[in-house]
Amino acid sequence: MYTAPFDYRRAHDTQEVVTWLQEDPDNTKIIAGGHSLLPLMKLRLASVARLVDISQVAELQGIREDMGGLRIGAFTRHAQLAKDPAVREAAPLLASAAAVIGDMQVRNRGTIGGSLCHADPAADLPAALLALNAELVIAGPGTERRESLDAFFLAPFITTLAADEVLTAIVVPRMVPGAKSTYLKRPHPASGYPVIGVAAWVSVSGGRVEDCRIALTGIGPVPFRAARSEQVLTGRAFSREAIAEAAREAAGSGTLEDDEDGYKSQLCQVYVSRALGDIAQGAG
Amino acid sequence: MAEEFASAPHFVGARIPRTEDSRLLRGEAQYLDDIQIPNLLEMAFVRSPYAAARILSVDSSAAWNIPGVRAVFTFADMPFVLPQNGPSPIDQPVLARERVRHAGEAVVAVVAESRYIAEDACEAVHVAYTPEEPVLDMQAAQKDRPRRVHDAAPNVFYHQEYETEGFQAAFDTAPHRLTMTFQTTRQTACSLETRGIIAAADPFSGRMTVYCGTQSPHRLRGDLAEMLQMEEHLLRVIVPEVGGAFGMKAATYPEYLAVVQAARLLRQPVKWTADRVESFLSDVHARDDIHDLEVAFDQRGQIIAVKDHLMADGGAYASYPFSGAIGETSLAAKVITGPYDIAHLSTVIDCTYSNKVPLGAYRGVWGPVASFVQEGMVDRIAQFLHLDAAEVRRTNLVQPNQLPYRNAAGMLYDSGSFTESFEHALAQLDYTRWRATQEQARRVGKYLGIGLSNFVEPTAMASSEAGSIGYESCSVRVEPSGTVTAWLGLGPSGQGHETTMAQVLADQLGVDLEHIVVLHGDTDAAPLGGGTGGSRSGPLGGGAAMQAGRKMRERLDVYAAHMLEAAVEDIAWEHGRAHVRGVYARHVSLRDIARIAYNDVRQIPSGLPIGLEVTERYQPPRPVSFSNGTHAAVVEVNPSTGQVTVLDYVVVNDCGTLINPLIVEGQIHGGVAQGVGAALLESLVYDDSGQLLTTTLMDYLLPSAPLVPRMRIEHLVTPSDGALGVKGMGEGSLIASPAAIAGAVNDALSPWGVSFERLPIAPRDIVTSLGRSSAAPV
Repeated sequence: MYTAPFDYRRAHDTQEVVTWLQEDPDNTKIIAGGHSLLPLMKLRLASVARLVDISQVAELQGIREDMGGLRIGAFTRHAQLAKDPAVREAAPLLASAAAVIGDMQVRNRGTIGGSLCHADPAADLPAALLALNAELVIAGPGTERRESLDAFFLAPFITTLAADEVLTAIVVPRMVPGAKSTYLKRPHPASGYPVIGVAAWVSVSGGRVEDCRIALTGIGPVPFRAARSEQVLTGRAFSREAIAEAAREAAGSGTLEDDEDGYKSQLCQVYVSRALGDIAQGAG
Repeated sequence: MAEEFASAPHFVGARIPRTEDSRLLRGEAQYLDDIQIPNLLEMAFVRSPYAAARILSVDSSAAWNIPGVRAVFTFADMPFVLPQNGPSPIDQPVLARERVRHAGEAVVAVVAESRYIAEDACEAVHVAYTPEEPVLDMQAAQKDRPRRVHDAAPNVFYHQEYETEGFQAAFDTAPHRLTMTFQTTRQTACSLETRGIIAAADPFSGRMTVYCGTQSPHRLRGDLAEMLQMEEHLLRVIVPEVGGAFGMKAATYPEYLAVVQAARLLRQPVKWTADRVESFLSDVHARDDIHDLEVAFDQRGQIIAVKDHLMADGGAYASYPFSGAIGETSLAAKVITGPYDIAHLSTVIDCTYSNKVPLGAYRGVWGPVASFVQEGMVDRIAQFLHLDAAEVRRTNLVQPNQLPYRNAAGMLYDSGSFTESFEHALAQLDYTRWRATQEQARRVGKYLGIGLSNFVEPTAMASSEAGSIGYESCSVRVEPSGTVTAWLGLGPSGQGHETTMAQVLADQLGVDLEHIVVLHGDTDAAPLGGGTGGSRSGPLGGGAAMQAGRKMRERLDVYAAHMLEAAVEDIAWEHGRAHVRGVYARHVSLRDIARIAYNDVRQIPSGLPIGLEVTERYQPPRPVSFSNGTHAAVVEVNPSTGQVTVLDYVVVNDCGTLINPLIVEGQIHGGVAQGVGAALLESLVYDDSGQLLTTTLMDYLLPSAPLVPRMRIEHLVTPSDGALGVKGMGEGSLIASPAAIAGAVNDALSPWGVSFERLPIAPRDIVTSLGRSSAAPV
């Protein structure tokens, strides 16, 4: 299991990344942590003529406050997300999801941008970032665009990112003050990827759910928001009955494949119920 | 047994940490891939992408043009086969010949200056195929549907029938009968270190040195000599550290022949190590069995007769030298009644070819399948009669006064502790308390289950996947300095033989453990032996060590008596010194004796040869010696997610005399871990076109540490009448554990009336079978 030969370049700024991508967009790949790409190359499932290493691009690193939220460089590693004080304060849901990705080695190598762009349907972070209403900053030839994460994932391993574009940053709005959140996953017994992962936050005011957001990963071909569950909860008392009803609506909010026996729907229901239950009990 | 020891046993039975552990835990051990040889070439294989196809052409011109490529071989360049040693005439070619018969079958071998180049060259080889319809279903295959895997032979390559006299009448007149179908899914051993081999000619002697992590060094040497038409004495097999073997590394594989032949043809050292994908596609698979079973019993649950149609999917070829399909079924048919006293048995065996990876040995071979069938059958009877599962087992267990006991298939259980181990396991588990807890838990929507598994383990057999050598060998040399070197013909892969065999020798010789070194795995040094497999190393290797040690000791006693001017029978040994019994002041050391034996040979007592070397071979008094025991598991099943958690696990094990309880317990821990995999996780999945879908460790689920339960182990000791009273124990823990865990899951689900007869039991199976209506989120 060795890779086919490839060319390797280390970029020093975003412009250089884009230029190199433009030269041969179809055969060039960005490498960040490499924990998803390299195994595919070793299995010879991905053949890449040129790797562009972005680990030395300063603009892609670091976490800073940005218009009341966070601007997280695409090359921020999972371990940094998990322990960063600003993330833990402004978006604790993101920190808690990052803390349970894979194992320590994966968290020390893997990056938020790599996870999103690779678009593995079983990645952890997309659920948290969907629930947090994250926005992506994407650089292309002479342009920079912003895109909501809601529209980013098209299919397994396929996103709206063009072959000559690079994700530079993820903008995460500050969570509603007082909101409680949790990321609950059932790890796959071999890979540690979520068989199902549920990211949720709920803000309660006067005994009623003022606002909430729930997103699921691992269970469908793309991560999705449980919009129908959110609707059920919003404005209702945060009761056991409301949670049960919201949980029943979770599966119907997205697309599940290979679910003729209802097993995946069942997991959606159980895990959304548990996640909301954890939040209700303050365990989140 | 005491008289079996030349000295009072200090070491046999002691919990001695393993000699091997220091180098293993420090990362100093040398595995195959660590071996450095100058000018070493590497081999990689082009493997079949089809389960079944005709090879139209092979175009390797582009591969030859890649710089660093040294050779591209097809079957025409190495027209060798692994001969079929069973009833069917179908040989396995080293590289595919005209047809491919499973996805992953080696078609072309590329040798290059590095593995990178070799793999690039593999991609440049163009093989044109015409796909054929694959044979994937063993029951259809029995009728040669959809076609024959090999034109020259029917798909059924092994068929046996057996019936006890009076079976039909007993079966027909029994008060109750139940029908059930048990199925186990393909697994593979998945050793941490993959397979590999290096062949390097010795330029001085012209001999060929082969490094390979095999379980049977001498048998591999013999196989290579025979199959490649080489002289056996011009081959040397060296086994480096082996990172797990589990029966899987007992086989001789096509890749081994290809590498050795390439090294001969190219006159340069060649290596191949499997990557993990190749392991899944070419290591022997195991456990692909179906048992169509009918059982007849009375109202007390006493089993009267068992009728079993045993089927196994043997894959594309019979693995050499041991077809797992034949091994799993023929042995299961002999021990399918387990430790239960069942008078009548009728078995039919059908082993078939398919377009899948060949079935070979994996730890326990027949046992995990047969135990799952046998214990599942008992549980179904208990359920049917509304009797307690433990009570039905008590009713059926072979009683102490029935031993030695010949079972319905004619196997002789020489000795054992069937009822005792069962009662001890129930007591250790606190069975009645768990039953009460189970009842209470159900009332609050928690579902616990208790699984009971009584097992017998035939050990120390003349024939196993390790080969058909019914003895084991040991050479002992007292060095001129008085230290001891021993060689055994075994092929260990983590069993701790360097420690256990030294323990046996230390007691025989009256020397301390640190003065003994045990070597193995070099055919130039070790005496010819069978190797490691079939739970034979403890009883047979231990027997050989005992016998060689005793023989040496007799000679040393003569020396000591001569030098101390005492009678031979008055000599006693301790810490490498002989004294006259009761008179510690008069002594000679082993070093003093060795000096005379090698350097002052005129002082040697008359009648003794020069030097201190002996080689002994030990053949046990019986063809098979039975270990036994009981596993008991408590699990919790979450009905809404299907997740299974093992809450408690008890093992009562009886393998006769224990050489080293620490090592026995380590073996049990590992076997139970593998049992968790077999019961709940591991499954090799083929799709409808015969593609193996599970070719990485992301897809093939192995039990990781958190899933392995803490377990309590109790030892019972019913010695064998072989050397030291030792019985084998390498497989019992994996024989019993899948049945215990599966039984516990089924017991937990009994309120739904659900009972799984197929392994593994995955969360999805549980949730689906309970039906959505009955499951609510918790």
